[in-house]
Order: sequence, then structure tokens, then C-alpha cells
Amino acid sequence: MAEKRKSMIKFKPKKFKVGDVIKVDFIVIHPMDTGTKKNKKTGEVIPSKYIDNITFSFDGKPFTSMKVWETVSTNPYFSVNFKVPAKGKITVDYTDNTGEKNSKSKKLKPKG
Amino acid sequence: MKKILLPLAFVLASSSISLAGDQFAMSDKDRAMYKEMLENNPAEIYVEDGGEILENELGGDEALAKFLGLKESELPKYIAGFPRYIKKLGAVVAIDQVIQAMQVNQGKKKTKLKSAKMFSMLAYVKSLANDENVNIDIKADKYIKASYALGKVNFMTPRGGRGLSCNSCHSADIVGGVLRTQPLPDLGVVGTGTTWPAYRMTKSSLRTLQRRFQGCMKNALLKVIPIGSKEMVALEVYVTQLAKEHKQKIAIPGLKR
Amino acid sequence: MKRRNFIKSVFGASVVAVTLTPVSIMAEDKKAGNKLSYAEAEKVITGGKGAKDSDKIKLTVPEIAENGAVVPVKVMVDNPMEEANYVKAIHVLASKNGNSRCADVMLSPLNGKGYFATRIKLGGTQDVVALVELSNGTFIKTAKSVKVTIGGCG
Repeated sequence: MAEKRKSMIKFKPKKFKVGDVIKVDFIVIHPMDTGTKKNKKTGEVIPSKYIDNITFSFDGKPFTSMKVWETVSTNPYFSVNFKVPAKGKITVDYTDNTGEKNSKSKKLKPKG
Repeated sequence: MKKILLPLAFVLASSSISLAGDQFAMSDKDRAMYKEMLENNPAEIYVEDGGEILENELGGDEALAKFLGLKESELPKYIAGFPRYIKKLGAVVAIDQVIQAMQVNQGKKKTKLKSAKMFSMLAYVKSLANDENVNIDIKADKYIKASYALGKVNFMTPRGGRGLSCNSCHSADIVGGVLRTQPLPDLGVVGTGTTWPAYRMTKSSLRTLQRRFQGCMKNALLKVIPIGSKEMVALEVYVTQLAKEHKQKIAIPGLKR
Repeated sequence: MKRRNFIKSVFGASVVAVTLTPVSIMAEDKKAGNKLSYAEAEKVITGGKGAKDSDKIKLTVPEIAENGAVVPVKVMVDNPMEEANYVKAIHVLASKNGNSRCADVMLSPLNGKGYFATRIKLGGTQDVVALVELSNGTFIKTAKSVKVTIGGCG
């Protein structure tokens, strides 16, 4: 699906082989509004809007899933490890509590 | 479109923040944690975005180089020397004003200097100079000389409700003191001129140097001066020269409290 | 045992399809909403079993957070990630936040290491807790105090 949000997937280190355990970082621009703050100008409460579920998949197969709460920082960052089984594609599917769905992918290109 | 050259090492000079009390001392461990955050800076997404906007709306690096009368390969070192006197603009300008001039030149609508869109574009263009030594030349011509002098006067002159100047909190003698639980930094040592635009954690957004200065002025009860004004650009010139004296390298995007 | 072999045969030996979203957690959320205290959250997550303190969990947080909106948290669990024995979930909580829960991360052997990092909001000085579930059904935890400075200019 087309991504409506801006995000980034990073692999660390950038160069790796099959069998290596790498870091997969996901950063996304998202307000992560808690629903407890007020708009300074209008005085109205800003409704909660935060990422609540994330699934990391490799070639379509989920290997990590997260339940996320509004207590995670705005423009959040999530990092997990991944043992590279082969060349393929990492996909991060994420939804927020207002029903917004997004997806970001990055190709995994191990050397050797 | 050039890839963002991420700074290889962000040096938060530990010797620069000599603190009044141990309770505010950032331990080496904490310092390392915050340094690591630079590798996952949300502002990188804004920098990338800025690059896309520049590319799609104005013709990207190629158009920028052409506008400045340079080869694309000359951009990094040239960008590292801003603010500069640009003859065809008839003034000492910062990078955002150059972008605005490009828009006018192409018959496009001007983006407000104080806007998220401009902050992103500014951040992208400045990031082209990443890892370059800041090389502003305050002796290059009479205009930049005058701008530096004006900047220094602005930095030193007390004004506003509390009779404060930038120097009241950021002079080399005061550095080491603590204000509202935050240690006061030496702007040259922490590279104010080379690490903005930056992600401000307390604002969860990308902010520029001049925008930050506006915030600081407001807090110190100084009348806020406009972004892109002669005086504000002069302040940026002064602070960038401070960074040069401390041999700072461009490192965009920065990460600030 | 039978189920695992079945899953293996369907998905192949290299990828173990493990249940990534424990149904118990999802069901409880609807009841309690976003306002569980740490004690209540620990009860929900561990199904009442509780968790033992363990130094197998390395929790890295700043001693003093520069600001409460963006506090870095890193969890590394010293435990294998094999099919027979792996870190099943890492839960990050904040002892005094109105909603003590921050993130529940369900892992699988394909992660290679029991590791998770993120950045959280802290409403004030409190403990950050890493509550870990191992594949054998046991729960371990560790906590660290973070001072949140409220101040600064603008």
C-alpha cells in the first residue's frame, strides 16, 4: 500500500553477510498525541493519535510484532535485531489508533 | 540527488560543559546514549524530504549550483561558508534566503522563511556540506565585514525588559553556570553555527538556528527580531565565526534538547 | 510438540511461526484502557504470575534525562534465541506514568538477539522497567531510575 507517512528503515551495519545479526531501525514521523494536551490557541483537547501496532516481516513472514502505547515519544524510533537468513525484503506495517494504516519496505542485500 | 552525508562523529566536547554542580553533570554513559541518538535522528527524514522538495520544485542540486554560479562538486565547500555576501542578491544572506531567491528567479511562489517547508529545504542544502570545516570568511568583502560587526554588537548589547544580551548568558566567563537546571554552553565550542538545523526534542520538530534564537530572545524578554532580517543574519554570521574559531565541522541534522 | 512440528512443515525449518500477539494482552486492553498502574500492568502481562528480578536483562537509560519527552531506552537480554529457548517478549514500562505501559515487543528466534530500543515519554522522575517473557513461560524484570529535569530555556 502507498505510504502516507514519512519514515525510514535503517540497517546497521550497512554491510553484512547471511547469518549476521544486524540491527533494524525504524523511525517514523508521527505525532503520538496522548489525548491529554490542549491546543494552545483554541483551548480544545487534541484527540489522541498514536501508533498502536507494528509488524516487522521478512518476505511477507512476520518475525516481530509490537503493541505500542501513547507513552512512546513523538516521531518514534523502534529498533530490533534480525538474523539475516537470505537476500529479501523487510517490511514494516504499522497502524494507529485512528485506523490509519501504513507500510514501509526496504530490500535486504547481504554480501556473500 | 546527493545522498545525505551523515556526520561520522558528533563531538559533544565534554570539556566545554564545566558544570556548577554535580547534580547537573552529564555522565559519560548518558552522553554516549544521547550521542547514539544522532544515528536515529527523526530530523533525517525532514532533511530527505527537503531534498525531494528542492528536486521536484526547483531542480535540485543542479539548479542550486547553477544559481550560485558553481559546479555541483563545488557545492559542499561553498555551502560550508554561509552566511555569505551574494552579489546578485545585493546582501549578506543565509541559505534559506538563497532558496527563496531561486523560487523568485523561477517565477515560483516564495516559501515563508519561518515555515516547516523552508526549514526542511534549508536543512537539506546545509547537509550537502556535512563533514566540511565551516569556512565562513568574515574578511571576504566589506559587506560580510559589516555583517560580522553588526552581529557582534547585537550579541553584546543588552536590551529588553531584563537588560540582557546574548553575552549575558553565553559569554566565555559565564559558561559553566547553570540556568533553569540547564548548563549554559559556549556557543563556539558546541558548534551552534554548524549543528543547526537540528531536531529539538522538547519541540519534537526540526528547528533552525535563527528560529532558536527567536525562542531564546522571547524567553529573555528581548524583542524578537525577524528571520532573514539584517540583524538576525548578522547574529548567525557572528555565531558561525565562533564555530570556525573552534574548528567545527558541519553536522546536519543536529539533535538538541 | 506436535503443533511445532506442524508449523515447521508448513513454513519450513528456517522460519518458525510463533504466536506474536498474545491474545491475553489484547483482551485485557479493552477492559482496562490506557490507565494501568505498574502493578496492574505487571499483573496483566504476567497473568498474575509476577516477575523475578534478573541481571540477565541489561537495561540502558540515562541517569538524568535531558527532557521528559524523548528518553532513550535500550533493553538487551542475555538469553539464547533458539526455537527451544528464546526471549518471547520485552515489555517496557514506566512506574509512575498515568499509563505505565510504553511498548510490548513480541520477538521470535529470527531476531537473533533479545534486543529492543525505543524512546519514551516520562512524566517525571521514575523507574523505567524492562519486563521480559521467556519462551518457557517465566517472567523476569529489571528497573532503573531516571531523573527527569524540568527546566531549561524555552
